[in-house]
Amino acid sequence: MEEKVMQLMRRGVITCSEETNLQEVAQIMVANSISYCVVTNPDNEVKGTISTRSFLKGFMMDPEKTKARDILLPYTFTITPGSSLKEAVGLMSKKKIEHLIVVSDRPGSKAILGLLHAEDLIAKMVKD
Amino acid sequence: MEEPVRICDLMHKGVIFCYPDDNLKEIAKMMHLNHLRAVVVLHESGEVWGLISYMELIPYYGENLERFRAEEAMRVYQIKIDPQWPIEKAIDLMIKGKFEHLIIVDPHAGMKTPIGILSSYDIVRYVSKIKIGHFDYMLKLASDPESS
Repeated sequence: MEEKVMQLMRRGVITCSEETNLQEVAQIMVANSISYCVVTNPDNEVKGTISTRSFLKGFMMDPEKTKARDILLPYTFTITPGSSLKEAVGLMSKKKIEHLIVVSDRPGSKAILGLLHAEDLIAKMVKD
Repeated sequence: MEEPVRICDLMHKGVIFCYPDDNLKEIAKMMHLNHLRAVVVLHESGEVWGLISYMELIPYYGENLERFRAEEAMRVYQIKIDPQWPIEKAIDLMIKGKFEHLIIVDPHAGMKTPIGILSSYDIVRYVSKIKIGHFDYMLKLASDPESS
């Protein structure tokens, strides 16, 4: 049987607002041992993500004055819980991204359900 | 005046490595158990040959990992990074080469002997200004009703 994203995804995501400053985003990531932070607007819609790579571009900026919205990567790649893991792997490899945001597949819903991270795929590969 | 930050100030000292003949199952296990985002592939002479990160491993999802060797999956690594370089130079290289990790080599050895790794996560840690070992203290402060 084909394996689905829902079998491996992390439920829920760690988020920050567009107004969160760079130093606070870094603190959220380090304190939670994560390599991403999802940026949302007040309506809880995804505006983008901040990855460790975003900090390379933001290094020369003042971390207390620079906001998440200044360095976020607009997020266009999402996946649904019912998508196959093979499809997710293909997307991650092609776009060279370590994580995919999992969104609801209900029409009109923009709810973020969780995240699929490359680390979870590696854990599964070790067990198989 | 603030001292300029050098690569050696932020890098992880020491590297976890594998050999080109090691199979991908062993490498994936090593990364999973040690929470590593990358391992260095060393030639038997001790010289840096390549790097395997999540991005090199996930295309093998669903395959029998024992059938593939590190040499087949690794990203060949050819740049030589000196630990004394300013951090800005390393960041510039990471952006241009789309690297998440830089392998730092011993500048005094003739061959490329690895002495550490600088990852983009080290930059995040630097920006956060949280020192290693301070998390428990922070969590204690957050949960301690007397601290508020």
